[in-house]
Amino acid sequence: MTALTTSPRSWPTEAAFDAFINNGGMVEASDDLPKAYLDEVFPFIEFHANSELMGGLTERDWIPKAPGLRMKQIFLAKTQDEIGHAHLLYMVAADMGVKSRTEMLEQLFDGRSRFHNVFHYQAVTWADQVAIAFLVDAAAFASQRAVFAECSYGPYKRVLKRIVAEEGFHMRHGEEMLLRLAEGTPIQHRMFQEALERWWWPAVQLFGPDSDPNDLLLRWKIKSQRNETLRHAYIQKYVPLLQGYGFEIPDDNLRYDDEQQAWLTSDIDWEPLKATMRNGGPDSRRRIANAAANWTDTAWVRTALEEGVSTRAAA
Amino acid sequence: MNSVAEAVASITDPEYPDISIADLGLVENVAVDGNHATIGLIPTFSGCPALAMIADDVRVAVEALHQIDTCTVEWLKTPVWSTERVSLSARSTLNLDYTVTLRRKDGALRCPACGSDHVADQSAAGPTRCRSVAWCNSCRNVVEVMR
Repeated sequence: MTALTTSPRSWPTEAAFDAFINNGGMVEASDDLPKAYLDEVFPFIEFHANSELMGGLTERDWIPKAPGLRMKQIFLAKTQDEIGHAHLLYMVAADMGVKSRTEMLEQLFDGRSRFHNVFHYQAVTWADQVAIAFLVDAAAFASQRAVFAECSYGPYKRVLKRIVAEEGFHMRHGEEMLLRLAEGTPIQHRMFQEALERWWWPAVQLFGPDSDPNDLLLRWKIKSQRNETLRHAYIQKYVPLLQGYGFEIPDDNLRYDDEQQAWLTSDIDWEPLKATMRNGGPDSRRRIANAAANWTDTAWVRTALEEGVSTRAAA
Repeated sequence: MNSVAEAVASITDPEYPDISIADLGLVENVAVDGNHATIGLIPTFSGCPALAMIADDVRVAVEALHQIDTCTVEWLKTPVWSTERVSLSARSTLNLDYTVTLRRKDGALRCPACGSDHVADQSAAGPTRCRSVAWCNSCRNVVEVMR
């Protein structure tokens, strides 16, 4: 990435802004952001930040339950990664001047904000957590990589570079965990099969319904790929991979189409996804309450840090 | 690739997929005795979650050499890793591609994105314990500081 400018730029018309973006222009924080762009990009980054935070809290829940020291170490590190990613993303989002970090967090904990569908379900067994690490993280990774590829908002793209590198590292952990179950005892194999039945559709739904032909996030190069393109590629990769390990995809209509040379699934029911976006998923209420309690319980830490800072400043 | 040192240097850090562990200063010793190699590495910090993965990658790459049958990788307690071990080329990649900087000797920070000195520390740890988090007040970007 080249050295950036900090002298504010502005675009007199939407056409001028479109041309700037289409020529590969990178929007910077100091620029005079067109309102329509801000209205699209800010909620997208806020959603990403919320999802990293909610995902991190899920990983955290499994630190004491993870089997063995090595798995605990992996979950400690992943928790730190996800919460850290949320931290960086909230910094970028808050700087856009729409909401403060505290406002974003309070709205999330009040159930007035949104986060990824996959964090609205309960992880029942360790195999669910493996399914999350192997399947769900892979779906999130694919969609983040597609955002990083062209991302027109500079401060977001710079943070995404590191997030994508770290998520790639998580992928390797996910594969290691899956292999243990896939090559393990019949009970372990069955546990993962059951988890797959719970997590396959939420993972596929994570990409969202087909992109609107006029999707502004595509037009302004926040997304580089349409939802259905990413979803299709994901299905083509993960169906044979899971079948290769001896697992069965929970879809009676799944078939390989010779003409299209592609795996085709049943029509996707989007109602479960819509429910999660209203915070009405199977585990939404508990997860949000849990995150809110965590925020309240740690208030003393924030107070202590703030008081420490003001004491030092006064000294 | 034919030497053991080259095989070791071909391994990249799992969190920086385009930076060699040699450039990050993790490689301390490379010793070959007949068809056995012993590699001494030092971690950026002892609790790093990537240690097993890095050691495994190194072992596999070295054992793939025709003159080597077995390879042992050890994580050494000393010397202690410091940012001074990071090569100039790795610093440049960290700066330009990752927006990650290293603190200068006088403690000051320079923004890798815009070059400004108006960079303020924000928190002691970020996504990983080998980096702290700072903010550039000039270009308003998150800057991470390798430590």
